[in-house]
Amino acid sequence: MALTGRLPLLLLLGIVPVVLRPSMGTVWLWLLTVALVGALDWWRAPRPATLSLARRPVPTTRLGQPAESALTVVNDGARRIDALLRDAWQPSAGATGNRHRVRLAAGERAVLRTTLLPRRRGDLQAVGVTVRARGPLGLVCRQWTAPVPGAVRSLPPFDSRKHLPSRLARLRDLDGRSAVRVRGQGTEFDSLREYVRGDDVRSIDWRASARNRTVVVRTWQPERDRRVVLVLDTSRTSAGRVGSGDGVPRLDSAMDAALLLAALAARAGDRVDFVAGDRRVRARLRSHTLDVSARLQEQMADLEPVIAEADWPGLVAAITGLGRQRALVVLLTPLEPAAVEDGLLPVLAALTAHHRVVLASVRDPDLESLATARGDLDEVYDAAAAEQALARRRRTAQLLVALGVDVLDADAESLPPVLADHYLALKARGLL
Amino acid sequence: MTWLRDHRTSLVIGGALVVAIAVAVLLGGGARTSADLDPANPDPDGAQALARVLADQGVEVEVVRDAAALERLDGLAGSTVVVTSAGDLGRSTARRLVATAQGARIVVVDPAPGTLRALGIRVSSTRSRPAEDLAADCADPLTRDLHLDVDRATTYALDGCFSDETGSMLVQRAGLLLFGAGGAWANGQVLRGDNAALALRLLGQRERLVWYVPSLADLVADDGVSLSTLLPRWLAPGLFLAVLASGALVLWRARRLGPLASEPLPVVVRAIETTRSRGRLYRRAGDRAHAASALRTAARRRAAERLRLGVGSEPDVVVREVARHLDRPVAEIQPLLDPATPAPVTDHDLIHLANALAELDREVRRP
Repeated sequence: MALTGRLPLLLLLGIVPVVLRPSMGTVWLWLLTVALVGALDWWRAPRPATLSLARRPVPTTRLGQPAESALTVVNDGARRIDALLRDAWQPSAGATGNRHRVRLAAGERAVLRTTLLPRRRGDLQAVGVTVRARGPLGLVCRQWTAPVPGAVRSLPPFDSRKHLPSRLARLRDLDGRSAVRVRGQGTEFDSLREYVRGDDVRSIDWRASARNRTVVVRTWQPERDRRVVLVLDTSRTSAGRVGSGDGVPRLDSAMDAALLLAALAARAGDRVDFVAGDRRVRARLRSHTLDVSARLQEQMADLEPVIAEADWPGLVAAITGLGRQRALVVLLTPLEPAAVEDGLLPVLAALTAHHRVVLASVRDPDLESLATARGDLDEVYDAAAAEQALARRRRTAQLLVALGVDVLDADAESLPPVLADHYLALKARGLL
Repeated sequence: MTWLRDHRTSLVIGGALVVAIAVAVLLGGGARTSADLDPANPDPDGAQALARVLADQGVEVEVVRDAAALERLDGLAGSTVVVTSAGDLGRSTARRLVATAQGARIVVVDPAPGTLRALGIRVSSTRSRPAEDLAADCADPLTRDLHLDVDRATTYALDGCFSDETGSMLVQRAGLLLFGAGGAWANGQVLRGDNAALALRLLGQRERLVWYVPSLADLVADDGVSLSTLLPRWLAPGLFLAVLASGALVLWRARRLGPLASEPLPVVVRAIETTRSRGRLYRRAGDRAHAASALRTAARRRAAERLRLGVGSEPDVVVREVARHLDRPVAEIQPLLDPATPAPVTDHDLIHLANALAELDREVRRP
């Protein structure tokens, strides 16, 4: 049950009889009358449960992009219904304008549209639909909440898309399609074509030129069908936020880097595998060359960092389970000395023996600024702590390099292009 | 016609409401009044019952509602005059009452402090909630054996009947009989205890009873009356109604449209948090030696990197090279970079060292 604004007004209207006959008895009599009329109105109000509610599936959207939820309302009752309807979503779904006034005659239907603007990654749930149906006098309403399940899937934003065109251009440079191309390690013979000025004279195929009237050069293309395994660490160290304001979890920045690399590798003709996990494997995706970005985003949508240590032996087993073929294994995990030395180092040898391993870490720019600020005593002690943390990080990185791992430590914004460039460099040198 | 059918229920309810109000107004109308203890008021607070019973007992009850009518009456001397709604008595009307009713037996019911002043009686009064079946407990033969049962009463700090610790409810003063338990004569309470008997004995002693209900219209400009008599009578119930309406307003606004939507909260941890707390730990422990050593090591490493001395070069090599690079004596650089230098003794020294190291770092970087 719920009141409307008319009920206090009606009560206040009782001032007329009170002035005509000033006594407390009049007030009580008026209150009784209003209560009776209110009860009658409530009794005559249509039952909200006679509305049947159905939600259409909400299309997948990307974080920060609007989506729309459509709710179909049918009046199954025999009476006209005049109601206020609220389509409630969890706050981060960003449902604006989710209150709808519905006036439906018996058997009539309406489609109510609520705009959603997700502010978080993952599956955002609808909470329920509340119907408040007014009585014939509009004094009292019947209220009822029905669970109408629904969810909108909000994918990672993939902000690093903007770096993709320039990296693809460089990939084409590596490819035989571009004229300037040197043969070398990690390339395979592509085709023969006519010499044009600017081509490397070393790539002239003299034997083919002898058979032709023109000079012919060989073109080369990078090796294809290599494997790239992206390993996303969702353990406690990934929960730390970096950057200005409230910051972004390191996990989200790592996802951005992984998405860019996956898109690039797929275009380069490599196969991309994906494993995400902490104590256990949370997501796994096997070798797809087609539309790998979309599938990867789908997999990443509901990954959240958990407050637990990563189980590296388990993750390494999952990587090995994906295939025996040599691969580029990209570990997207923060370079946290304690976590890396205790968890990762003991099992790293098993990986480096078979694969080329790259560790991509999101650096915290605050650490450097903390180390340089030396205004007062607090800041000096903080600077000492920061210097020590930096030294330990550097030592861990050196340790990893000594074990044959490429370590990339970059800010959240620059990690995706740095990782992509590293991949291109490895590809150009045929080290995949 | 469709409109009529659609709004049939509203019309029926609205019509019923109008009829109900009309009936209430018609039935409640007539010559009645709503003043407390008014002889024409049949409500629980009125005194119509008492007036009727007195009339049935052969007392000639005459209701007078203004001072001029009271003055026009003859032969008041041998009759009883009872004054209800005594709060409406002003100084002038009280004087006119006392002058007109010379020789009569005057009973003033529930005189408030203001009324007492108007009557020229200086006595303090107290509102009280008397015990049930309060005995008269006095020498007056009229009331000696009676018990009074009333919800609320006023006591006057004088000797009289129906007393409690604060005073008495029935007192004789300046030729007037003051009765503080007027509620006992209201229609709603007159049947309890010996209330009715007391009323009959006090008011029915003489053949004729003049029931004087003073009117505010008789007052002259400088009459002091209590504030409550000046305020409109509907004010208190009206305020009460307003309170009820605001209660309904609160209920209207406080009702949520459905349950709260909850959000599974994410973990919000700044990555820098652990480093900061380590800094606070050093600070609390006052570990200047450790802090200085960390800062020195970092400065040495940066200098070695800048001067291309290679990783893991000895501290004295770094000190020498830095001194040569900056063209400064080794003795000046040594206390800053050498790990063998004793740790700073005071916090001030530590800050000084930290800033000197930062300055050195800038100098080494300068091309």
